Amino acid sequence: AETTLHVATWLPPTSSQNSIVWPTWKQWVEKATEGRVEVVIENYTGDPKTIFDAVEDGVYDVGFSVNAYLPGRFKLASVAEIPGEITDAEVGSVALWHTYEKFFKADQEFRGLELLALFVHGPGQLNTNFPVKSLDDLKGKKMRIGGGLVNTLAERLEVTPVSAPAPKSYEMMQQGVVDGTFLPTSQQKTLRLSEVTTDLTLFPKGLYTTAFSIVMNPDTLESLSKKDRDAIMSVSGEKLSRLAGAAWGKEDQDGILEAKANGVKVIYLSEDDAIVKAMEKLEEGIDKAWIDSVSDRKVDAKAALAYFRKNVSELSQ
Amino acid sequence: MSVVLIGFAVLLFLILVIRMPIAFAMGVVGFLGFAILQGLSFDNVLSFRWTAALTLASNRVIGTVQDYNLSVIPLFILMGNLVTRSGLSQELYNASYAFLGHRKGGLAMSTVLACGGFSAICGSSLATSATMAKVSMPPMRKFGYADSLATASIAAGGTLGILIPPSVILVIYGLLTQTSIRELFAAGFIPGMLGIFLYMCAVRFVVWRNPAAGPAGERMGFKERMAALKSIWGVLLLFTIVMGGIYLGVFTPTEAAGIGAGGALIIGLSRRSLSFGGILETLVDTARTSGMLFCVVIGAFIFSDFITRAGLPDTLLNLVTALELSPMLVIMVILVIYVLLGMVFESLSMLLLTVPVFYPLVSSLGFDLVWFGIVVVVVTEISLITPPVGMNVFVLSAVLKDVKAGTIFKGVTPFWCADIVRLFIIVFIVPVSMFLPQFLYDQ
Amino acid sequence: MSIKGWIEKHYPEPNIYRWIGVVLEVVSATVLFSLMALTCVDVVGRYLFNNSINGAFELTQMGLAIMVFAQMPLITWRGSHVVVDLLDHVLGNRIVKVLGIFSVFIVSSSFYFLAIRIYELAERSLRRGEVSEYLKIPTGYLTEYIAIMSWVTAACMLTYGAYRVLKGNNESQQFGE
Ligand code: NA
Ligand code: NA
Repeated sequence: AETTLHVATWLPPTSSQNSIVWPTWKQWVEKATEGRVEVVIENYTGDPKTIFDAVEDGVYDVGFSVNAYLPGRFKLASVAEIPGEITDAEVGSVALWHTYEKFFKADQEFRGLELLALFVHGPGQLNTNFPVKSLDDLKGKKMRIGGGLVNTLAERLEVTPVSAPAPKSYEMMQQGVVDGTFLPTSQQKTLRLSEVTTDLTLFPKGLYTTAFSIVMNPDTLESLSKKDRDAIMSVSGEKLSRLAGAAWGKEDQDGILEAKANGVKVIYLSEDDAIVKAMEKLEEGIDKAWIDSVSDRKVDAKAALAYFRKNVSELSQ
Repeated sequence: MSVVLIGFAVLLFLILVIRMPIAFAMGVVGFLGFAILQGLSFDNVLSFRWTAALTLASNRVIGTVQDYNLSVIPLFILMGNLVTRSGLSQELYNASYAFLGHRKGGLAMSTVLACGGFSAICGSSLATSATMAKVSMPPMRKFGYADSLATASIAAGGTLGILIPPSVILVIYGLLTQTSIRELFAAGFIPGMLGIFLYMCAVRFVVWRNPAAGPAGERMGFKERMAALKSIWGVLLLFTIVMGGIYLGVFTPTEAAGIGAGGALIIGLSRRSLSFGGILETLVDTARTSGMLFCVVIGAFIFSDFITRAGLPDTLLNLVTALELSPMLVIMVILVIYVLLGMVFESLSMLLLTVPVFYPLVSSLGFDLVWFGIVVVVVTEISLITPPVGMNVFVLSAVLKDVKAGTIFKGVTPFWCADIVRLFIIVFIVPVSMFLPQFLYDQ
Repeated sequence: MSIKGWIEKHYPEPNIYRWIGVVLEVVSATVLFSLMALTCVDVVGRYLFNNSINGAFELTQMGLAIMVFAQMPLITWRGSHVVVDLLDHVLGNRIVKVLGIFSVFIVSSSFYFLAIRIYELAERSLRRGEVSEYLKIPTGYLTEYIAIMSWVTAACMLTYGAYRVLKGNNESQQFGE
């Protein structure tokens, strides 16, 4: 190959990002460029939040990370993180990409980086070691949270928040340092939560999600021939966002199966349940909080939110 | 690939011949090595875009000094230092002596036992041997112990500091390999006990060959024994709080370090053995040691970024696969490399140089990284008493000015053999290390 | 012992270096103590009162960085970094001095050049409004602190550190681990 793209990745090898998303994209790129561009996937052992800088400055050519790891810098994509907005990961990811193309691009939150894809993980749910019959059951319980808009929700639920990265959940649950964690159901399998939780309570639209970005170094892209540049972009954007969202979403089903197999009590709530109604009431206004939080951006936030919602409902059909 | 070999050669040259601080040698070689992989050559030094390599190193500096998990390093060191200042080491020795002192070689056995006890609250081997030297050397001299046996029991016993939890070396291993620190701590416990037992056997062997080397001390009555036992409540309490708290889930291993340090402070204050000045000096001393450790960890990270980008772990794996070596044979080769490196390097340098290279290979061969961690720590312990550079031996000959390093090395030989026996037991009987973590943490 | 006597005993450095050392070490000792206290209060609060300190996580991270870099100038000029001095008696005093000066040069330039990039990263982060999760403190300030302390370290090392080596006062304190 004429050019090698070094991809920075993290998370365990079993996660769908590493078992599906990267290998598939590698195939796509190598095929589209007829082998002129080779993709090498490397494990990033530093803090995942530094991946954005590492890609911008050319330590790696491509990488992915969580937007909320850099609070204050990437605020726009959080539109997908508003509790109760998305139904599943693929839909949320594609809707987010469309909204980015139409509304967010102008603001240049990603200046210094070439954005290849935006995606979200499946709806975050309650993984607990106590049954959740009503929202009062959560009051004062120690819950691990990661960051982003879910922090606001945790505040409103009056839980005792214990902030820690997702991979710490297993240890903290097992030791009883926390009584539960907000995470998508995929983590019942990937992080082996099924071994340490007793109850998995599924809200129809989940409680939150997390936005991820896949980014590339612009100089690396610029250094390629126009043909190869176009080839790479043709297998990125919406196509890559959809791939990633679908892969992460599929994990959720595996997680639920794993939970059931390990004797975790899985509760599917429906729109009519009192607890779901109470949660919706609690979530009211978090969308407003997002709109306020991006007031310093050159974006019509209200229109963007409406467009995002329209996309979600259209894609869900 | 040749870049890596040259890199290693330059690194060894800088460390051994130029005597450059190891942290900076690793950082500089890693930095330049990475730049070379990015296309740096003699022709383009001025036009080369240094940004990537500089950002890589900068991110390592910024990220490492803010790594929450690394907060255990200063806090566990602080716990050990506070305990030392509070005089708990003396009481540990007295208690061991009360039970073992009347036997032949009993004082040396007491030393080993007290070292083991002190290791349970101290994360460092050098600190363990330096502390125990002060309390156990005078009585051994009084009863006419041979210098070689007396000092060797301290030097060897002191190595237990990094195996019996808490342990700074295990924490660093856990960080480099992303292994659970809690499981590593649990895994070190039984091998540590085994170490105490085998060292006692080594003492018995020495006095069997030469009874004059370790005469018996006074026999204590039941009452005296109980009195001595009572006085070690501080140590027992602290160990119980720290390890019990981790096990029961009151706090994480990271938080345990802070709790342990706080507990040591309270115990020290309640015994009126800590003054304001003493506390300040302990804090300063701890901060210095931590700062130095952070530098070394940063250097190691930059160096490991370089060897990862160069593809060394993959190359090693391909080599092993191509040669069709059995996994156990690979482990044996690695162990031989460690024992050889152990002659020259002190413990931390050895760990940092080798673990990033070996752990991906070991893991892909199907071995458990917790088990490998214990194996690595045991070979690291061995390196502390292996001539010509045995840090524990040097520390002792510095603390005890009138004992030559050569005398200690000679005395240490039976203990070194005991260590090799223990290494084989741990390598071939996996449950010795893995039973406890599996029993405690696997449902 | 009086405070003055204590300082003179523990900080034999001349003038300005003495005061840099004293001030920075008091800072790092205070921060270390606070780290310990913070963990204890956080754990006790969470366990007994179901109420942990919000942002304890990030306060610990910041404290760690402040402590380590406050300590950097003094441990560097005193030569406390881990050195393998296996060949010292083979090489002889004069060569060891020359090598020492070479190391001083490498160490100071490492700190100096890296700090330039660290400072640039700090400015970039501030420009982009990156803040910490709970306390919303701009993270760039801490990064700037790291850069500035690196420059202080480089300056002290190049002057007093080099002087110490030339005086043959380069007994490195060994800690090991
Ligand atoms: Na220990
Ligand atoms: Na050695």
